[in-house]
Amino acid sequence: MSEVNNAKSLSLWDKMKNEKVTAFFFCLPALIPLIVFWIGPMIFAFYLSLTNWDLMMPVYDIVGLENYRFLFDNPEFYRTLWNTLYFTVGSVVPAVIGGLLLAIALRAKVLGRIIHRTLLFSPWVTPLVAMAIVWSWLFDPSRGLINYLLAAVNLPVLPWASSSDWAMPVVIIVSVWRTLGWSMVFYLVALDKIPDDIYDAAKIDGVNFWSKLRHITLPLVSPTTLFLSVVLTVEALRAFDQIDIITQGGPAGATRTLLYHYYQSAFERFNAGEAAAIGIIILLISGAFALAQFLISKKYVHYQ
Amino acid sequence: MSDKSSQEISLDESQRGETITKNAGTRARYKEKIRVLLVNIFMALMSLLMVFPFLWMFTSALKTHDEIRAFPPTIIPESPQWSNFWEAWTSAPFNLYIFNSFFTATAIVILHVVTTALFVYAITQLRFRFRNLLFGIVMATYMLPVPVTYVPSYIILSWLGWLDSYQGIIFSNAVSVFAIFLARQSFLQVPNELVDAAKVDGASHWTILWKIFFPLTRPIFITFGLINFVLMYNNYLWPLLIIRSRRLYLITIGLRQFFIEQGAYGVNWPLIMAASTLVVMPLLILFFITQKWFVKGVGGSTGVKG
Repeated sequence: MSEVNNAKSLSLWDKMKNEKVTAFFFCLPALIPLIVFWIGPMIFAFYLSLTNWDLMMPVYDIVGLENYRFLFDNPEFYRTLWNTLYFTVGSVVPAVIGGLLLAIALRAKVLGRIIHRTLLFSPWVTPLVAMAIVWSWLFDPSRGLINYLLAAVNLPVLPWASSSDWAMPVVIIVSVWRTLGWSMVFYLVALDKIPDDIYDAAKIDGVNFWSKLRHITLPLVSPTTLFLSVVLTVEALRAFDQIDIITQGGPAGATRTLLYHYYQSAFERFNAGEAAAIGIIILLISGAFALAQFLISKKYVHYQ
Repeated sequence: MSDKSSQEISLDESQRGETITKNAGTRARYKEKIRVLLVNIFMALMSLLMVFPFLWMFTSALKTHDEIRAFPPTIIPESPQWSNFWEAWTSAPFNLYIFNSFFTATAIVILHVVTTALFVYAITQLRFRFRNLLFGIVMATYMLPVPVTYVPSYIILSWLGWLDSYQGIIFSNAVSVFAIFLARQSFLQVPNELVDAAKVDGASHWTILWKIFFPLTRPIFITFGLINFVLMYNNYLWPLLIIRSRRLYLITIGLRQFFIEQGAYGVNWPLIMAASTLVVMPLLILFFITQKWFVKGVGGSTGVKG
């Protein structure tokens, strides 16, 4: 009872002050780690990219844009950029399109929908390190199951991860395997939200599958498509586990993406400045990409 | 007379028309049935294809060294070598690795629950300046490519003396922007009347948060708790960078180490597959039991209107 009186006797000013103090202390536990390990490091990365620090010596020099110039003068770096583009497009596009097709198929009268959904989603849950090891066994050039199956149907046997032409497709297949069911679940949610009467109306008008897809489904799921392509692109730019297990960026740099280059600069060659510069380039690319997708969305994405 | 015949003819025609539509009807139904059958076959094949690596991992784990290299490969092992699991488990300190992963992932998820609940309560229920700006900044970090922060965070951890330590793994992951995003949506749906009633009763913000908001929004905490637990158990690159000593290895790093060591003298695939199975199994079981929470989280995290 006395508590109630106390609460009521507080003046408006006290209440507001009280609210501000509470807000401060409530925000702190989240903000401290966020500032120390996210926002701070972001700003720090810009600074580091202008130095030649080797992570060990206490002294270093400010070298300006030297790290960036060194990267862009190096033909190997363009290969890395190309690999990143190859990997990103190769892993994002099939995951988005495949996810939509699977979701559409699953909504047709399929038995055991939840079982399918669970099985298709399970690759996303399991440790990629472990599964990349399994995939490297499946793709083993001499004893792997995949080459055995190819030979069994008289197709040419491929050198997979040991050749610079086929290593990237292997890494891409593993990545798509992991994200396909994940993106399907997003589309399932999006498709569930489309009112049935739209399809019923289309059915009466005798619209066929393809024009239904083009004129009803695609526009209505376009927010999901946009979201998935942004998130999967950011994911692709940070893909590491499958590359590290299956190819270590090789053979001959064929699967060295920006992130793998970053990792090698920082933790194999201890060139913090160069690594930070690559990090900033990754940041700029994803920023530009997110912006582009946002602008495209304004034009083509239909929000209900 | 002529009238009648025309009537008969028209009757006849309408009858014929009916049988035609009836035929078309059965044909359409027949077509529909085939379509449904094909979709079912397609989905069954797709599901099988997606889980095949798990099955192959498991059967390979049960083979002998000779059988796994046999051509043509056997699908079901001739005499299952269950002892492979034990051999794999004991040839590296996997129990320690699993403990490290479970321990750090659990600690991180508990921190996520606390930091998320407090922060989201503040930005949804309390009035203060820069509230929206603060939320905007936090959300912007969601789109931030994490790798940019690796090198600087590594340096910051070394200043704190937290490299190669549990604290390093745990506190560098103490906030989940994804969790904040999910929780904010459900906090906004808690009815104001409940909050007002509690305020009239003189309840403090702390009490309102844990006695009203937390129970009402528990599903979202379970969802992101499970998803983040899985992400932390599977985490590889960041712990690889900050962990040096074997006693702190997480399961992902330990497994990769085992993979390298077993590959030294001709790859010992059965043991590697057995170890992989032991690493993957806890998560698959956890996922099969809790799958609806995952789907909820994924569906809710679209951040998409419509």
